[in-house]
Amino acid sequence: MKTLNIRALARVEGDGGITVTLDGKKVKSVTLDVHEGPRLIESLVKGMKPEDDLNVVPRICAICTLSHKYAAIRGLEKALGITAPEKALITRDLMMLGENVESNSLHTYMLALPDFLGYPSAIAMLNDYGDDVKRALRLKKFGNHVMALTSGRIVHGENPILGGFGKYPGKKELAEIAVRARELVPDAVRAVELFGSLEYPVYPEVETVFMSVNAPKKKFGLAGDSILISDGKEVDCEDYKKLTSERVVPHSFAKRSMYKDRTFAVGANARMINMGKRLDGQAKDLYKEHYSDRWLRNPLLNNLAQAIEMVWALEHIPEVAEQVASMDDPKTAEPTRADGAGTGAVEAPRGILYHHYEIKDGLIDKADIITPTAQNLDDIEAHMKVCAERMMADGKKDDEVLFALEMIARAYDPCISCATHLVELKRL
Amino acid sequence: MTKSSPKIGIYGFTGCAGDQLMILNCEDQLVDLFGAVEIRSFVMAKSDNHEGEMDVAFVEGSISTEAQLEHLKDIRKRAKVLVAIGTCACWGGPQAMKLDDGKYDERYKSVYGNAKITVSKAFEAQPVDAFVPVELKIPGCPIDKGEFLRSVSKVVAGRHPYLYPFPVCNECKWKENECILTAGKFCAGPLTKAGCGAICPSHNLPCVGCWGPTDDLNVGAEYNLLKEKGYNPEEILQKIRKFGGAGVVKLVKDLEKPKEAKK
Repeated sequence: MKTLNIRALARVEGDGGITVTLDGKKVKSVTLDVHEGPRLIESLVKGMKPEDDLNVVPRICAICTLSHKYAAIRGLEKALGITAPEKALITRDLMMLGENVESNSLHTYMLALPDFLGYPSAIAMLNDYGDDVKRALRLKKFGNHVMALTSGRIVHGENPILGGFGKYPGKKELAEIAVRARELVPDAVRAVELFGSLEYPVYPEVETVFMSVNAPKKKFGLAGDSILISDGKEVDCEDYKKLTSERVVPHSFAKRSMYKDRTFAVGANARMINMGKRLDGQAKDLYKEHYSDRWLRNPLLNNLAQAIEMVWALEHIPEVAEQVASMDDPKTAEPTRADGAGTGAVEAPRGILYHHYEIKDGLIDKADIITPTAQNLDDIEAHMKVCAERMMADGKKDDEVLFALEMIARAYDPCISCATHLVELKRL
Repeated sequence: MTKSSPKIGIYGFTGCAGDQLMILNCEDQLVDLFGAVEIRSFVMAKSDNHEGEMDVAFVEGSISTEAQLEHLKDIRKRAKVLVAIGTCACWGGPQAMKLDDGKYDERYKSVYGNAKITVSKAFEAQPVDAFVPVELKIPGCPIDKGEFLRSVSKVVAGRHPYLYPFPVCNECKWKENECILTAGKFCAGPLTKAGCGAICPSHNLPCVGCWGPTDDLNVGAEYNLLKEKGYNPEEILQKIRKFGGAGVVKLVKDLEKPKEAKK
């Protein structure tokens, strides 16, 4: 028995690694190892007031901070019977669009692209791909700006609260971001051209199931109360446990997710697979141009899906910002009860994020958070295993195999801090 | 980058990676930063990492496993200066909000059950300076871009950046915000180190304390003030502990003592 190992997976968020266990030429197992330390966040928020929970849970992850905030708000508002005013809902859409642009530009260009082009980092690409690196930084900076304008600051902003916002963004700033978003669309289109021109190896290809939220009004979107599955089913997000059926694997501390005994994937590619036909504008044209049934098999195409999604987000920011600007500031909605339960489901850039809360006497009695990366772990490993088997059979070198596996893990845009906010995983 | 460029390493432990992300969020300065210093190790941003001697190590996150502790000690050995960045590295972060309450094992069990540990042993998260000497703490949840960049330029030149020694209330006053505490609402401002620019009070929201404890902390005064305003003592302590971690643990225990004595 021999093992190939990458101890510290670079260019991902958090501390993870990959272990391939070989028996001669046969691949016994491929695992994504998570070395990130446990934090026990869900046990710490028990007994807290909902407003305090909202300060703590976004700290699970810096990159999806607003997704955590919004999923928690949705779950808590349901539990407490809060009906947020229209302006709050639209401002929340805007903050999610900002986070999407920020995270997708960071992941596609700075974390994933260097592999495809053969560089150790985006900064190392400066001499040869200076325009693209600068384009990425422009997009990221703008995404951050939208997050700061809506949430109070770039990371872990506290402005979104139950029932509304501490302070709504000003008209002048909203008008500015509408203009800037339109200016940046060509940058995102260039990202689609670039990711559309890359070679995506066929080694990891195998069919899987995809899940995303079902955004309301038959639109493409980043939050919803029901979940779409690529097999055609639709499930209320309150039944999230049936979809994720978390289980404890005897040899690991990570809770794993399967759907009908199959692995499934969440993320931008799942959103495109389930809601891509609802796109409009240039994003629609780009989707039509690039989408194929390979998307159902090849996780590397998540990079391309994220690039198309950036176009969609930038095309929608102006109308959403203008809508926010046109409305008067409403009063913050208050809780109508002190006991209840509710689940919030949103699309973090890397897939569906669930926050479920049970409230008793105004305090949190139970919190259950299921992150996208935790849902993706089994699917990442399934694709890595197939890829390793095929490459070994083709006589590829160990280094080449490990590099290909790294690219697969990275393509899911894993957030290891998120996946392990309560768990720690290590395979024997 | 020249041969004499200062060598730095950027490392992350238990936390949200937000402080490393804030470094990547310095979009306008990132190219210059990578040019001015030699970044030997930054696993989150690049794959060609070299683990050797360095001038300055920036460490994010709290320490919560034996393996992390070994890694931290190794970084300390190789670094002339070690800078803790972010509230987790400086004070333990939210995962240290119940530090030393004696119930860690209970919480751990509630999450993992009786599952057998096959990996590095986990323990209650603690700040970096609980284990190794730290030359400088740059707090924040996450750190502020400006404060970080100013500090880097000073530290790599061998100088002290001298962060604000006072609470965020000063920054709040500079912005001419109305005092939230005076209005009778809980605000962690008087206990919290300045540096963020009083963002939350500028959005009509109370300070949550995410920058961690300020210098010359007076927890007792805040506690008594809030009690007078009718707050439940347990809730006050819970809110103080939320981001205070190791910086308030002893002070809070001292406040709890008389309460326990009454029982």
